[in-house]
Amino acid sequence: MRARKKPYEVIRDRLERGRTVVLDGGVGSELVRRGVRWRDHGLRTDTAAVHELHREYLEAGAHVIRTNTFQLNRRIYQNVFRDAAHLHHIGAPDLDQRIPKLIPRAVDLARAARQQAGRDNVAIAGVMSPLEHCFRPDLAVSDDQARAEHAEIAHLLAQAGVDLLLLESMNTLAEARVAVAAARATGLPVWVSYVLDAAGNVLSGESLSDASRMARDEGAEAVLVNCAPPEDIERAVAAMDDGDVKIGACAHIGRFDPPSWKFEFFPQFRDTDAWPPPRYSAAAARWQDSGARILGGCCGTGPAHVRALAELAG
Amino acid sequence: MSYAPVRARLDAGELVVLDGAIGTEILRREVTWADHQLQTRPELVRSIHSSYLAAGADVISSNTFQLSRRGFMQHFKDAEHMRHIGASGLETRWAELVQAGVRLAQEARQAAGLGDSVAVAGAMTTLEWCFRPDLAPSGDATDAEYRELASVFAEAGCDLLLIETVNSVREAVAAARAARAVGLPCWIAFVPDEAGNLFSGETLAQACAALEPLQPDALLVNCAPPSDIAMGLRQLVRHSSAPVGVYPHIGRFDPPEWMFTDEYPPPRYLELAREWLASGARIIGGCCGTTPEHIAQLSTRLRM
Repeated sequence: MRARKKPYEVIRDRLERGRTVVLDGGVGSELVRRGVRWRDHGLRTDTAAVHELHREYLEAGAHVIRTNTFQLNRRIYQNVFRDAAHLHHIGAPDLDQRIPKLIPRAVDLARAARQQAGRDNVAIAGVMSPLEHCFRPDLAVSDDQARAEHAEIAHLLAQAGVDLLLLESMNTLAEARVAVAAARATGLPVWVSYVLDAAGNVLSGESLSDASRMARDEGAEAVLVNCAPPEDIERAVAAMDDGDVKIGACAHIGRFDPPSWKFEFFPQFRDTDAWPPPRYSAAAARWQDSGARILGGCCGTGPAHVRALAELAG
Repeated sequence: MSYAPVRARLDAGELVVLDGAIGTEILRREVTWADHQLQTRPELVRSIHSSYLAAGADVISSNTFQLSRRGFMQHFKDAEHMRHIGASGLETRWAELVQAGVRLAQEARQAAGLGDSVAVAGAMTTLEWCFRPDLAPSGDATDAEYRELASVFAEAGCDLLLIETVNSVREAVAAARAARAVGLPCWIAFVPDEAGNLFSGETLAQACAALEPLQPDALLVNCAPPSDIAMGLRQLVRHSSAPVGVYPHIGRFDPPEWMFTDEYPPPRYLELAREWLASGARIIGGCCGTTPEHIAQLSTRLRM
């Protein structure tokens, strides 16, 4: 009997044949747009909404769906306290156990949606990200701290059964290097995606080509760019070298509108109407012309954008 | 100016009742606390002020805690990044929200027909996160940002500045100077740790001494559990020449929201408040987790 291919092998084959792989769209931003109160990523209070969004991305034709784990790490709880003692003194009693509980739950929700949709070939990407705010490379933590924290997250995602690890919105080379190593240690395939500045560099100001080379050398199978406006993504993709590694892109659309109160990244984007699905997929077609073979959406995009990308990918 | 009746009461050694929590009260009414809701749900914010006025508060505070230019800027790499990908108007939104916050408190006071008998306090806090003294900006930046913040509160017409959950002597002094520069009375409230010290590790004795030349109108402790507040109060009573006060939080912080527990129902809160009053506190209110019912207990049962 022939063993059925693992979901990621289907994705890898598709990429090897030069075909386009469609990623899903924004998860956090779409949940916030749908009115989910952004606490614990909705994973304690709004699991039905998370499940439904995964279902819609599958229905739209995504080949890879992402877990709702962007910037879900111990620091989002710890950072609002003076220190661990203060957290235990005045914090809710189970804050230490949130991450080990919520990350597997996020994976379970994506897996359940895939199973219900009967889309066994879809791969689930476990999302990792900078440990501090994705737009604040100046806050990036030391290698030693980052190593242990990324290892825990990678392990939780792998144990829960994701098919690959996707490091999103990485904003410094140093943290990306540590995170790729932690992700690779699980044995899963790894994709790395960098958040860009207006000049097309990694947000830290480091060169994107250095960042791509590093990711490839550390064993990443694909390098993407994400969470910048479509015009910036277009310029960056055009400058990327697709010789040795698969490349991909996810733009954000609309304007980032942080609330007046929240401390960590809060995925609220407004004025997304400027980028309806046909305009977005037309932009993505130009990324494709420049060699990008993994196309998806970042903050502000939704299932309709992914449907347009799926049509583009054929 | 509506501060005169408050000052007279404190000068006479009488109790001044401060309001309770706003943020957690928004949350208790099932609205997200990620936003101050000053422009999205103004009627909700006004109704919370009204509840505290009905409960008998002498001073109500604006729903402006943690609002600052920096509060929006910290979500971006820098100002250029904010302009490049941020929503329009983010650079000035903090000031619009501060003005809206003070105005909503004033409107609630007017609607209650309380005119000059109740003071509206403009609520400010540390420039970075209130529980993180390690993040505090450098001295020069601190002074300039506090001056800018205080001037917007003054323009909005609040009767005093309530500088809350302060975690270091340096920021307390910068804030008090800014209040003095705009000519507003100021109360400074420190968050105490379990030993009754500042989060920076400095003592309240040091804080009192550093603030003495600036003549703050009151010194308080807030946003810690009642037991820690009692420790801080003991220090303030010993070292402050200004009137002193307390407003603890109750329940547990479940970021980004607050988890309510039944540990301190209003009657128990009143019993503790009697002890604070006996220890010398003359301003008593509530921080996160407290409700109009807690404040009603204070105003009806605690006044001499």
